[in-house]
Amino acid sequence: MKIDINPMIIELENLKNEFSKTTNKLIKNIDRQDKIMFRSDKRQQYEYDHLQDRLAEVERLELAQKELMDSFIILIAGAIDAKSKYTGGHCERVPELAMALAQAANDCNEGIFANFELKTEDDIRELKIASWLHDCGKVTTPEYVVDKATKLETIYNRIHEIRTRFEVIYRDFQIIALERKLQGENAADVESWLNIELQKLQDDFQVVAKANLGAEFMQKEDQEKIKIIAQREWIRHFDCSIGLAFEERERVKKDNTQTPNIEQLLSDKQSHIQPREHFDYEDYEARGFKMPVPEHLYNFGEVYNLTQNRGTLTPEERFKINEHITMTIKMLETLPFPSNLKNVPIYAGMHHETMIGTGYPRKLTIDDMPIPARIMAIADVFEALTASDRPYKDPKTLSDSIKILSSMVEKQHIDGDIFSLFLSSGVYKKYSDKFLKPEQIDRVDVTKYI
Amino acid sequence: MENLNIEATKYTPEIIFDKSGKLSIKGKSYPENTFEFYAPVMGWIKLYFLIDTLPKLHFSTDSLSKELTLDMEIIYFNSSSSKLFFDLFDVFEENKENFDITINWLYDEDNESAREAGEDFIEDFENLNIKLVPKQR
Repeated sequence: MKIDINPMIIELENLKNEFSKTTNKLIKNIDRQDKIMFRSDKRQQYEYDHLQDRLAEVERLELAQKELMDSFIILIAGAIDAKSKYTGGHCERVPELAMALAQAANDCNEGIFANFELKTEDDIRELKIASWLHDCGKVTTPEYVVDKATKLETIYNRIHEIRTRFEVIYRDFQIIALERKLQGENAADVESWLNIELQKLQDDFQVVAKANLGAEFMQKEDQEKIKIIAQREWIRHFDCSIGLAFEERERVKKDNTQTPNIEQLLSDKQSHIQPREHFDYEDYEARGFKMPVPEHLYNFGEVYNLTQNRGTLTPEERFKINEHITMTIKMLETLPFPSNLKNVPIYAGMHHETMIGTGYPRKLTIDDMPIPARIMAIADVFEALTASDRPYKDPKTLSDSIKILSSMVEKQHIDGDIFSLFLSSGVYKKYSDKFLKPEQIDRVDVTKYI
Repeated sequence: MENLNIEATKYTPEIIFDKSGKLSIKGKSYPENTFEFYAPVMGWIKLYFLIDTLPKLHFSTDSLSKELTLDMEIIYFNSSSSKLFFDLFDVFEENKENFDITINWLYDEDNESAREAGEDFIEDFENLNIKLVPKQR
């Protein structure tokens, strides 16, 4: 039997082809697999590099943002200091003092400071920002109030003064006329009468001028004197409602503007009162502010101002000044501080509170105030006492300033522990050496206060 | 036959396979289970190539385009996705006689490894029309 091997050969050939095809495919797949792994590793590296770059970029941006924010803060503080020559470098020096004290509290491990620690850079930054911004609300305080140096100082429309000069000249003519009429009278008698009256007038002016300075506490009899002097009369011949801007004219219309009119030398008029408008009492209460709000915005009454018994400010102006702290708080509470800076409004907004609830604006007590906030309060007072760039007051010496701080401790207006630390750590000394004038730095025995 | 529309997720690309022949895969490809995720994609394209040869009984008779363009713009992909793309291109290669197929491999011109991946596909699939399309950032 003859075997036809051809089909078998073809079959074999086919199998061989199939096999080499499969083998090729297998090799190709292995090659592919290698390629895939190789490329994949390379891509991973690329992605890793890419991520690292992005991370570095984020860090750079973070830093840039921080720097920008710090610059803004310094800009605001600079604006406040620049706004009034009377506050000088206050916003710049308070951070120096506050940070030095915080550092001392950090280093001290006794008493209330045992658990106090500024752990991270953020903790330090938080306090620093708070101290830079502690007076930021002052940007809203009118300069004329911040800078008010005498009781009668105000934004002044000099038309009044000019009108007065008219009045004076008016009288001069009358006087000359009268003198001529009276030529027949005994000259010596007239002269002695005139001298007495002129001297009285001089004395009265002395009283008013001295009261205007507000340098001394006004006793009740001083106030009565002003009220008596106020009753001197003069006759106004000119219309006091012309030459005024709209707002003032509207106020003056409430007074008697007829001519001629008998006027008092000094007076409290309806037009002296500026009404309080658009004050958000609801928000004020919601934020826990407890300073009593005066009925009027301002009262420019002459007798009212001259008879203020302490300083130059009326209660209305005192409130306006104190409003800087509620403004500081409002402004800072409005800013979206990140969680690592959330205490900025707290640290910045408590430097006028006392330990016993007699401060402002929230009448807080020591229990409500974290250590950095209490540090801020002392830093604020000490800087203000020793500052030599306020035209309205002489800088206090070191020993006087420390004495005042100690009496504030006694009255529990500031924290005694922090005051002791201020002295024992030598922070007071370092600050004085840096910022006080040599003549302010006198000998002070700190041991009697500690 | 329906269009295939898969929305992008954090780990998977947007996939639009339109029966007009416009196909695209865009985004990142890090599926938890790559082969499971791409199963509907592989199924869709296999059916597309097959559908004209099947009896028209069960399918709508609208004729499919013989011209296919696949835009691939994969920013990041894992190694099993890479394997899957080879499998996908295998399917294209098997059908290249009957269809006019173009594959655009879009990559960020700064991304060297993405370009190299594209070059690997070209090398492996000499008979497929794969174009490298660099994109400016």
